[in-house]
Amino acid sequence: MAKTINPSKRLFFVSAATVAGNLVSVMDIAREISLAAKNAKAIAERAGEKANGFRPITDYINEMGYETGSRVNAINTAALEVSRIAVNELRASDVYQKLIAAKEYIGKDVPESIEKLIQEASERHAEHTAELENEKAKLINSLEEISIQMRAAAVIATCSRVEATQAEEFQSSLEVVAVNVEAASQKIKMIVNDCDDLLANR
Amino acid sequence: MKDTVLFDEDYKWIFFGRDPDKPEKIIDTNQYLIKDGNRCILLDPGGIETFSAMLASVTRHVRLDDITDLFASHQDPDIISSLGLWDKALPHTRLHAPWLWEGFIRHFGCNNIEYVGIPDEGSELVLNKTKLVFIPAHYLHASGNYHVYDPKAKILMSGDVGAALEPAESNMFVEDFKAHTEKMTLFHQRWMPSNEAKNDWVARARELDIDMMAPQHGRIFKGDDVKRFLDWFEALDVGIAIKPHEQDKAA
Repeated sequence: MAKTINPSKRLFFVSAATVAGNLVSVMDIAREISLAAKNAKAIAERAGEKANGFRPITDYINEMGYETGSRVNAINTAALEVSRIAVNELRASDVYQKLIAAKEYIGKDVPESIEKLIQEASERHAEHTAELENEKAKLINSLEEISIQMRAAAVIATCSRVEATQAEEFQSSLEVVAVNVEAASQKIKMIVNDCDDLLANR
Repeated sequence: MKDTVLFDEDYKWIFFGRDPDKPEKIIDTNQYLIKDGNRCILLDPGGIETFSAMLASVTRHVRLDDITDLFASHQDPDIISSLGLWDKALPHTRLHAPWLWEGFIRHFGCNNIEYVGIPDEGSELVLNKTKLVFIPAHYLHASGNYHVYDPKAKILMSGDVGAALEPAESNMFVEDFKAHTEKMTLFHQRWMPSNEAKNDWVARARELDIDMMAPQHGRIFKGDDVKRFLDWFEALDVGIAIKPHEQDKAA
């Protein structure tokens, strides 16, 4: 049987790929939000004037679901790319270390060609490392944007609850929409927090 | 990378492939995951260039800690050149692969993963609820080569047998067998070296109850297309690269 691996010891390319995998479920949840918005819109239409305050909120929820989905789709692609860069960084590091080992094996009178290869490998490794750090920072920022959007979603859910109270016999149906949006935003926040932890190797 | 569930009962068979983002000049490959609780196995996990996409796709379905086993049908780079990276990502797994190729496959990097050599006659592996049989398919095309048969799911993962070279956007399942043979003929004639080995395999495959035959490239065969494939393969003359020389000698 396999032993459990301490996640903190995992390599960064694994973390980035795991983030990409996790974000697929966020896309599913974003679709649920859009569906909730469509249901809410239908209810608000039936409720007529009683749901006057709720109607504009449904458009906002719909837009938010769509935006979250497309934003997460882009982040998912970026996370996969970061994983690829991390793999390249690892391979570049391996090449550098193997060249150093070759140099040690040669001992004295290391040919200039080997020194040149080591220099080039070192530069390539540094380029990959810089690219990785850069893309990693962008990825973390993009995740932060999703977190901000989810905080806005929580506010919208509260507003929806307030507006639902004005909708008389439609109150419970509209409250369900508010609850669904709040639950979805909580789920997304949790996944994004997990992704943040993975990227920070916490 | 796309994923599709092929079998879903006590455990799952999941297909991965048709990666639209793979580098253009590398061959498209099919990978398979058997998800069985905390004992999961990846079959022919693929090459180094598709590793990240494969890893990300797998994490949608399983916790990495639950991948306890890997299987490599043979030593080719599109099958297992990612080993050095899996070795770092999943250091406590076991790799089931031909005993014959151990010294070669280790060149891909296998410092942590335990190499479990499959003997010539094949062997079995039990996960939780899954029982898998590693069936010999020597010389199809590698000299040490195995397929994976699941008697409950009735799936035969057939490595390069049944493979077709097609664009990454092609369908997952064979729809028109006759038309599909055009995409398989040259591959099997050239990559498969021995009519004797081929016919021996066909005879053994006919004894298996197979609903789905899942190769490592191209489309999956379902239902009657499995039998159609066995008939077609049996009738095919393989090992064509040396045939012109034989004709020269005869003349």
